[in-house]
Amino acid sequence: MSSPTSTAESVPTALLSRLQQVVEHAGSHPEAAVCDLLRILQAEYGWIDDDRLQLVARLCSISPVRVEELCTFYPLVLREDPGRHVLRICDSIACHLAGAPGLLQMAVAQSGVPLGQSNGRYSVLPHVCLGLCERAPAAFVDGKNTVAPLSAEALRQLLQDWERES
Amino acid sequence: MCRKGIVPTRCAMAEVFYLDGEAIPFRAGQNVLEAVLEHRQESSIPYFCFHPAMGSLGACRQCGVMVYPHDGKHPPRLTMACLLPASRDLQLGRAEAKVQHEHQLISELLMRNHPHDCPVCDEGGQCHLQNMTVASGHAYREYEPEKRRYQSQELGPLIRQEMNRCITCYRCVRFYQDLAGGEDFGVFGSRDRVFFGRLEDGPLESPLAGNLAEVCPTGVFTDKVYHQDYLRPWDLEESAGICPHCSIGCNTRPGAARGHLRRVRQRSHGEINPHFLCDRGRYGFRYVAAEDRPRQAQAGGRRQDVDSVLDRLAARLAEGRSAFLGSPREDLDSNLALFALARVLDAPFAAFFEPWEEAKAREILALPHPPAPARISAYAEILVIGAVERVAPTLPLFLREAHDRGAAISLLRCLPSPLTALAGEDRLLPPADLLDAAWEWLGQRHHRPFLLLIDSESVGPELLHLLRREIGTWPDGSGILPVYRQGNLPGASFYAVDGHASRLRTALAGNDYDHLLALGQDPQEMDGLWWRSHGDIDLSLIDHRRSLSWDDVWLSLPCAALSERSGLYYNGEGRLQAAAVAYTPAREERHWRPELGPFPLAAGGALREELLPSPVELCRALAERLELSERWQERLRFYRDFLLRSAPRPGDPGVFLPEELRARFRLHSAPPPRATDQGWSVCRFSHYSEEELANGARELHSLAPASAAWIAPGQQDARQVRLRAVDGTSRTLPLRELPDMAAEVLAIPRAELVFLGLRPGDGVNPEWLD
Ligand code: SF4
Ligand code: SF4
Ligand code: FES
Ligand code: FES
Repeated sequence: MSSPTSTAESVPTALLSRLQQVVEHAGSHPEAAVCDLLRILQAEYGWIDDDRLQLVARLCSISPVRVEELCTFYPLVLREDPGRHVLRICDSIACHLAGAPGLLQMAVAQSGVPLGQSNGRYSVLPHVCLGLCERAPAAFVDGKNTVAPLSAEALRQLLQDWERES
Repeated sequence: MCRKGIVPTRCAMAEVFYLDGEAIPFRAGQNVLEAVLEHRQESSIPYFCFHPAMGSLGACRQCGVMVYPHDGKHPPRLTMACLLPASRDLQLGRAEAKVQHEHQLISELLMRNHPHDCPVCDEGGQCHLQNMTVASGHAYREYEPEKRRYQSQELGPLIRQEMNRCITCYRCVRFYQDLAGGEDFGVFGSRDRVFFGRLEDGPLESPLAGNLAEVCPTGVFTDKVYHQDYLRPWDLEESAGICPHCSIGCNTRPGAARGHLRRVRQRSHGEINPHFLCDRGRYGFRYVAAEDRPRQAQAGGRRQDVDSVLDRLAARLAEGRSAFLGSPREDLDSNLALFALARVLDAPFAAFFEPWEEAKAREILALPHPPAPARISAYAEILVIGAVERVAPTLPLFLREAHDRGAAISLLRCLPSPLTALAGEDRLLPPADLLDAAWEWLGQRHHRPFLLLIDSESVGPELLHLLRREIGTWPDGSGILPVYRQGNLPGASFYAVDGHASRLRTALAGNDYDHLLALGQDPQEMDGLWWRSHGDIDLSLIDHRRSLSWDDVWLSLPCAALSERSGLYYNGEGRLQAAAVAYTPAREERHWRPELGPFPLAAGGALREELLPSPVELCRALAERLELSERWQERLRFYRDFLLRSAPRPGDPGVFLPEELRARFRLHSAPPPRATDQGWSVCRFSHYSEEELANGARELHSLAPASAAWIAPGQQDARQVRLRAVDGTSRTLPLRELPDMAAEVLAIPRAELVFLGLRPGDGVNPEWLD
């Protein structure tokens, strides 16, 4: 892990001052800004690398361990490079009953890498309940759009599209 | 209300509730599990996540009991005993089949991912998980799928991790973050993939990390040092020990077998260390196995048998030109034995080689009964002076609890401190300004009793003197608790702090004395400058560590280590505690064909004792050779009787130095004030692992940083600094930046200060070198 003092340079000044503004907004509780900072950085870079983790810790005046606790608790924060796209397939109970395990298996077969790993283009991740149980099995695409129910065919097509992208 | 915390609060026992028909007394604020644990040694309710210092969490779901409502309307319901406040006439069931079945199911669930590696697990034989699983009746695994597996981390030389054994009770992280304030350990992930560890491999940074081995109810965190010389816990002989590595005097439970001391665990003393030990106390014991520990008597650096060295020493003492030096890290009887020998020979004796240190000891003895360490958390206002957490690493536990109870903590310091997070007022100062700042703090209005917690290694006697003289004007119950690294300072110096050190020096510097017999204290390590300028004095040493001068002195006599003999120690409160013999060192040997080397006892070998004489035995041998035995014994008895009106036994809570004996030290006049220098000054840098004996503990000492001079960042571009002593000798040290320390201060290790003849707060002229 890189040293905590060498991280600020890796972020452009404009972004850094935006982050600082968010921290200032949190007033005497800079640690309250942690989720917002992670969200901004992930939107910018796609994931949180070690340098960005250290930067967030420093800006929020908390230990990097605390930031990592949060990152690893929330499945929406990515600590590894997912590639260009991320597909999250819900594997909680309703979706499980509606065929999520089969979809996940299919996705693994098609991507050629285990769940949670990137094949260079995209990653497929199991996910906790997306709140779309009535339309199970549900999926969440690139952190933006939901697809529910997700059919096997739609899944195959989506991954194929991603594979074809140049 | 009795609250949870590291210090048990005393409240009156009042009511009872009923568990399987048995009346269980409880105190207000207790939960059912807590009351049952206090009432019975072995709890009949299985549990994991509850810990007396951390309270309840309700995470493990193991402690279910059936509650029978009194109203007769509601059916009985199962609830967690650790989350159920104890209340009067509560009717609870534990023995019934439904509850037992529940316990069994939870055990099964917790064991689902647990590896079946008990035969190679160091926790085996003392495993809470194993005990609870057996007790709850889960014996056969029926769960088919694969177990979850983790990659464990490498956490340094003291603690080993085997994460697959985790049952997610969260005790470790609650201890490490919430109680110890550690920042490099946490809990990662969610659901059944939670991981307890560091961000990356590397030694745990908290000086209290070793407690993980005791708080973890399974074998995730185990004692790595114990592992090196491992025997099943039931093969260990445990005794009641006292930690000799600082003035707190924590109670310990050393475990030994077959001639080896193998581990040290905590033994609870409600007033001193209710639950935990620091890592110096836990791992410092390994100095007994230091590779360079002296085991052979020497004359002029050459091996000689003990008897002839004793003969030569006695002959030299008979000449009447010898002075004597005791040691604040040696036990009471060893000091008294040497003192008595000095008295029957009418020779000078001192417990300190440095008059400055002696003056501090006098001020420490003069303090009216300092509060017990565990009482710190009861104070509402606390002033911390110096680096107390480096000197006595368990103190932050009490300070954190005080903080959580709303205490106002003020901090005056030269070095970075983890206590800043607790302090409302935090001032970075050069050491010479600490006194004025303390004075200012006292000048604020304090209506409630307050506590001054003083790192007496960072300050001079004048500070202790001026502050302690004010105690009478403070609100009732206020006090001063000094901390230092010597384990028996009041005991060693009680008879010898009235200018003894100066008289000893004058004697040695004059023509009448030319030999010093020192026990557990090497003058070169106490005042290098003075010792260098008096090179014609012959030195004889009695010690169990190889001090700086050991191989160059006139005579050197190795003695038994503290854990190899019993001993009495006065801690910083002036509480006398007794340590039992922890072990008798021995080597395993073959019965037959010894040329084939050691052969384990288990396979028919024999144990050959390798016990060295204790300092008292050496003094007795000298008295015999001098034909002064009777007078020596008489003296010794006299001193002992005077000081020990009642001697505690190992395991006792201890007895206090009577107030009237302390009072005699209050008459001393103020030590001369020191000139406050402008510009650069020095303070003592130390690591929590550091202490004369503990420095010989290989695993612990490997964590200490290399010797250097530390300065605040951005003060100097130089790479090295040279400091000169008044005799022209110099020391060149690498320069390192240390964030959050005082400006214009050089923090350097004690050995360097001593070499240069400097004390914390002294002004220096650093030469900056590239
Ligand atoms: S590592 Fe030990 S103490 Fe920590 S949660 Fe797991 S079982 Fe509990
Ligand atoms: S070194 Fe001090 S604080 Fe640590 S265990 Fe020993 S007596 Fe307690
Ligand atoms: S279980 Fe999948 S969306 Fe709720
Ligand atoms: S001890 Fe009660 S739930 Fe864990």
